[in-house]
Amino acid sequence: MNENPTNHFEEELRRRLRPVEAPEGFTDRLMAALPAQQKPVVVPFTPRVARPFSAARQFGMPAALAASLMVAVLLGVQVSKDRAHDEEVARVEEQKGIAASRELMQALRVTSQKLDLAYEAVNSPPAAGDEENRS
Amino acid sequence: MNLSTAQPMPDSLLAQARAGDRNAFATLVRAHQGSVFSIGLRMLSRRDAAEDLAQDVFLQLYRKLDSIESLEHLGFWLRRVAANLAIDWLRRLPYSATRPLDEGAEVAAQETEQDPLMSRELVRLLGELPPHPRAVMLLRYQEDRDVAEIAAMLDMPVNTVKSHIKRSLTALRGQMIGAKLVVEDSP
Repeated sequence: MNENPTNHFEEELRRRLRPVEAPEGFTDRLMAALPAQQKPVVVPFTPRVARPFSAARQFGMPAALAASLMVAVLLGVQVSKDRAHDEEVARVEEQKGIAASRELMQALRVTSQKLDLAYEAVNSPPAAGDEENRS
Repeated sequence: MNLSTAQPMPDSLLAQARAGDRNAFATLVRAHQGSVFSIGLRMLSRRDAAEDLAQDVFLQLYRKLDSIESLEHLGFWLRRVAANLAIDWLRRLPYSATRPLDEGAEVAAQETEQDPLMSRELVRLLGELPPHPRAVMLLRYQEDRDVAEIAAMLDMPVNTVKSHIKRSLTALRGQMIGAKLVVEDSP
């Protein structure tokens, strides 16, 4: 049948390249190397038991949220009050400062006028009557 | 297990192995270990490396049993993984690590031969081929796979497989003739 030399050579290859046996004990070594059987974890079914009514469980979260909101509002109000008080104090202090400044300016003006009068009195020539009286 | 006397396996064996039956898996291993080991041995030219490769292939199989559709698919899958893994190892290993001096006799078929010298020389010359043509020749002549199947296993065009076979046959035959192990005009 195989007159072609290449076909004859191919047959020769097939004959001489037959699979060889795996080493003795190969399967046993492989099976020992396999990872441990991973069985699926079975979680037993436990029906949910109806628990007695508990106001804390039922309203716990809304109550906590409401309390948080209330605290936040109160804190906001307090902060607002503090800020208004601080502003009022600042305003009063500013007015006091302005008044003090005005008083000081008034005092300076009065002092200046008095000094002017004294200067004029010292530097003006004496009147005739005054000389007679002196001698 | 003697490969020549292997009994056909029932399809249920694969399903049993998938279900976690280790004995069924061991039966599948015994049925294919010679083929997988031989691909590793003739690709890597070392018995120890071939056994490591075979073990690696079957461990991969164990992890991917769910993706194996049939016993026919199993055979295809094992040869594909073994051949590609061997090519990959040949790329990574230094040349000397895959060229033992005196394992040629073991790599040849372990049976009474009329001409053991020729078998040894043939296997040696096969080992001289580059990894891809070597894998093609083994899948074609050791595993008796057709060209289209080899192309699918090695993820290469059919024409490339044909080209590898033609060139490798010419080279091997020429070297065997040169060594006077094959007569040029032998029928």
